[in-house]
Amino acid sequence: MSTNSIKLLASDVHKGLAELVAKRLGLKLTPSEIKRDSTGEVQFSIGESVRDEDLFVICQIGSGVVNDRVIELLIMINACKTASARRITVILPNFPYARQDRKDKSRAPITAKLMADMLTTAGCDHVITMDLHASQIQGFFDVPVDNLYAEPSVVRYIKEKIIFQQAIIVSPDAGGAKRAAGLADRLDLNFALIHKERARANEVSRMVLVGDVTDKICIIVDDMADTCGTLAKAAEVLLDNGAKEVIAIVTHGILSGKAIENINNSKLERVVCTNTVPFEEKLKLCSKLDTIDVSTVIAESIRRLHNGESISYLFKNAPL
Amino acid sequence: MTYATKWSVPNSSSMKYNIANIQSIYRTKRLIKIFAHFFCPTPLPMRDIVVLSGSSHPNLAKSICRHLTVEQGVLASKKFSNGETSIEIQDSVREKDVFIVQSGCGEVNDNFMELLIAIAACKTASARRVTAVLPLFPYSRQPDVPHAASLTGAPSLTVKKDQYTYESAPGTPKPLRDDTTDVFASTPPPLSLMTPSANSSTDLLSKATLNNLRIPTGGTSGKIPSLTPTAIVTNSAAVNIPSVDAYGRTESGYKQWVAQNGTLIANLLITAGADRCITMDLHDPQFQGFFNVPVDNLYSKPLLKRYIIDYIPDYQSCVIVSPDSGGAKRATSIADALGCSFALIHKERRAKITKTSPSASGSAQASPMVRHASASSVVGNSATMVATTMLVGEVKDRVCVLIDDLVDTSYTITRAAKLLKDQGAKKVYALVTHGIFSGDAPNRISKSAIDKVITTNSVPQVHTAAILGDKLEVLDVSRILAEAIRRIHNGESVSMLFDHGW
Repeated sequence: MSTNSIKLLASDVHKGLAELVAKRLGLKLTPSEIKRDSTGEVQFSIGESVRDEDLFVICQIGSGVVNDRVIELLIMINACKTASARRITVILPNFPYARQDRKDKSRAPITAKLMADMLTTAGCDHVITMDLHASQIQGFFDVPVDNLYAEPSVVRYIKEKIIFQQAIIVSPDAGGAKRAAGLADRLDLNFALIHKERARANEVSRMVLVGDVTDKICIIVDDMADTCGTLAKAAEVLLDNGAKEVIAIVTHGILSGKAIENINNSKLERVVCTNTVPFEEKLKLCSKLDTIDVSTVIAESIRRLHNGESISYLFKNAPL
Repeated sequence: MTYATKWSVPNSSSMKYNIANIQSIYRTKRLIKIFAHFFCPTPLPMRDIVVLSGSSHPNLAKSICRHLTVEQGVLASKKFSNGETSIEIQDSVREKDVFIVQSGCGEVNDNFMELLIAIAACKTASARRVTAVLPLFPYSRQPDVPHAASLTGAPSLTVKKDQYTYESAPGTPKPLRDDTTDVFASTPPPLSLMTPSANSSTDLLSKATLNNLRIPTGGTSGKIPSLTPTAIVTNSAAVNIPSVDAYGRTESGYKQWVAQNGTLIANLLITAGADRCITMDLHDPQFQGFFNVPVDNLYSKPLLKRYIIDYIPDYQSCVIVSPDSGGAKRATSIADALGCSFALIHKERRAKITKTSPSASGSAQASPMVRHASASSVVGNSATMVATTMLVGEVKDRVCVLIDDLVDTSYTITRAAKLLKDQGAKKVYALVTHGIFSGDAPNRISKSAIDKVITTNSVPQVHTAAILGDKLEVLDVSRILAEAIRRIHNGESVSMLFDHGW
């Protein structure tokens, strides 16, 4: 007898966010098992029937073995599909390959589009993600995509943890100007922009500050922090221009490579990331890191999606 | 025509007669050329073909390019610091026939994603046709019991070599109980019986393999007690509803809600934009049916056959052996082609015998041993298993040739070799198409009863060759793949390669 209830499924590797979401929804994660055989191929099995259920697969893809995670996710989705789930919703807070969203060179792949196609091929019916690098990625999908915003949670964090009357919102690049300006509007703050010239991926060349930051607490806002080279340089530029202190708030703290080293050596006061990407172990290595919990937003979106309610409320308000 | 006039311009003033003559010669030559093109097409130069190599097996791609006499296209593959793959195709592929060589080995998932991204990149770069060349197809097998070698496989290599045995511990089964006749009595008795060997080896075996299992030992003599099941559920479906454990496995061993990756992998390749696949010795030929695009499954059989004829002395009298029943068809086809006799090793994995009780085991033909795992030491899915190995066929004083399509952990093949040697085989060759040899496998093979392993370079063999040395023989498949690529590119038939190799 099917109940068509919410079933939460998470990969074995990063269960942190999924468990928070499950706790929030008052559910248990569906038992599942991922195994790897000696060649590295993935074997997956679900521990209970999911026939005709409303399935939510939560997958946190951070840094490191991204491709393994992606294949695991695809296999999980496909397993649910072949197990006759009524609807499969993939929750990918940090969309992998989101930065390869255009043909920036000759014969460069649009991997974000490929990811979208693969998710659809595997059998997902709905995608929930957060702060997509480019919201146009939604158009790559043939299935509905709900792009949630971390902004309401970030606004709350700033109001609670920072003397925001003295603050100024800074966008570290022109691409993020809109995001930063939106946040500045919400908080009724001033806004500055750092213009940078990027030579190659993961490398920064020259930075120019537009706006006045003298004696202000600068809040750098970005959608993702990878090696943190940009953030460190931006902090230097801001302090050179008379800023009091520099705090960075990013949605996806991928923090790969030398990120921790860069943060520790930088003049950044604090780096705040949401928990879309697991970085518990990095938290121990770096005292400057802080977390914003977005599991409530995701849990609420799951609840609303399951009940067929509007999700747009969550774009402006963060559930407590 | 224009050639003729241009060429003859200097002479035109003096020798007008010649011009007409030359022109007519050229005209006829061209006509001949046109006719010749229709009746016996000359091989076109490989102009609009691009062969790209993934990072899994660059040497194979290089060798394929050499056979095709084409320059290899440049595919720059690197990783961003967060682990995402970045692909850059540095040669133009517009309106080209693109072949991307990537074997399903090494970091399987990374390599597969790299292939998908490369295919998508070619497609967006307006390639006319993209063919994925996967000598070893990733995810082509779904082992029924994933990686439970500690229960059903050979002993681990943690014990010293002299103490080590490849004994197939459970002997050949005989009917378990009279009341189970409906299942077991109908099984024809095996021609040759594998008997349990002396106490010492079995004792060691029990220490080696079953270190996480509890076998109720009868005494301090080290005698392995053979356990007879008192109750076996044979008609449970009729009697009661099969119970399902936490992971959806029923008593029959059938697993519910388990991902079957075949279709997914096929669909992903198509989604990325592959117009065709070339692969070799697919584990299941049915895999071809998962695709909506043509799949050319090449065979290594002619290659292996050639090796047997050329290098195995007196090959007519050798015995072709299949190490498991799944590969029987593959082995018999080679045996038929060579006119050799055939033997089969059958490994039974019977799941779940509910209750066991020890009984005396002094006789040579012991009842099958039941490996009973106590609840605390159950590893994953293989709760209680009966593993029995038997040989069907006569191998005494003969050269045995084991044939398999894929060797990974090498448990199956080393056990098979041991069994053959125990049955009096003179020499054991192992012919394997895809030698993955992961983990300890090369060491295991070097210490095993196998005298020679013959595999192909469908996956890189450098590491294996370093360990196995003379024991390993690597056959080259790049010629077959290159010829298949050439034929596919020119729109010729590939089927000749199936029978004759290249």
